Amino acid sequence: MACFTVTTVAAIGVGVARHIVRHNEKKKDPTKVDPIKLDTMKVSKKLGILELALWGGSFILAGEHLIHGEVSFKFPWLTAVSEGPDAVKEMLTEMGTAGVGMLLIVVAGWGIGLLIRKLLLKRKAKLAKE
Amino acid sequence: MYFLVALAMTICFVLLWLFVKTKKPLHFEYGAIIFGAATAMWFIDCCFSAAGGEGFLGFEIPTDVWISLWTVGGGLVFYAAIVLGKYLIDKKKQAK
Repeated sequence: MACFTVTTVAAIGVGVARHIVRHNEKKKDPTKVDPIKLDTMKVSKKLGILELALWGGSFILAGEHLIHGEVSFKFPWLTAVSEGPDAVKEMLTEMGTAGVGMLLIVVAGWGIGLLIRKLLLKRKAKLAKE
Repeated sequence: MYFLVALAMTICFVLLWLFVKTKKPLHFEYGAIIFGAATAMWFIDCCFSAAGGEGFLGFEIPTDVWISLWTVGGGLVFYAAIVLGKYLIDKKKQAK
């Protein structure tokens, strides 16, 4: 019904966090690089990947909801809101279950991707030492 | 049905990202991320549908056809906008 709104709100939140992190990264001295640190990808870039995933997924799912007639261009935009309290309750339940589940799976996928990258870098460094 | 379409698009973009090298940076990984996220989100939706007794995959024609077309078209437009935006930003940075 409106499960994509959860990931949309999360995308906005991640976007704000990315801007703050990037601002702090610019303040730091770029010449100070930890030689032991293998992963040189900045935190802001990592957050950017998560933001892209959340926006992309939300955009495609928003279209699906529009075709299904669950979202409209007229106020209050969500069809369930104009259908009465029972429909609103159902919508909120779906947002709390499917919406949160969607958010968790995207975040988990992002985390697993970063972990794989870290392991591959470790392996590469180990092979280079040998 | 659109879950399978999104999955197919993700596989296509992952293969392009891994095996196709282009002169201009087309960032196929962005497409893989966009369609991958949509696939993951619809997977959860399918799980909830199955739990509700509606079946894991639904085939409602013609609604599903329109959604599948939107998935491919909308996803590609979103991907193109991101790649174009990045290209223009990089160009601006280089000019500075």
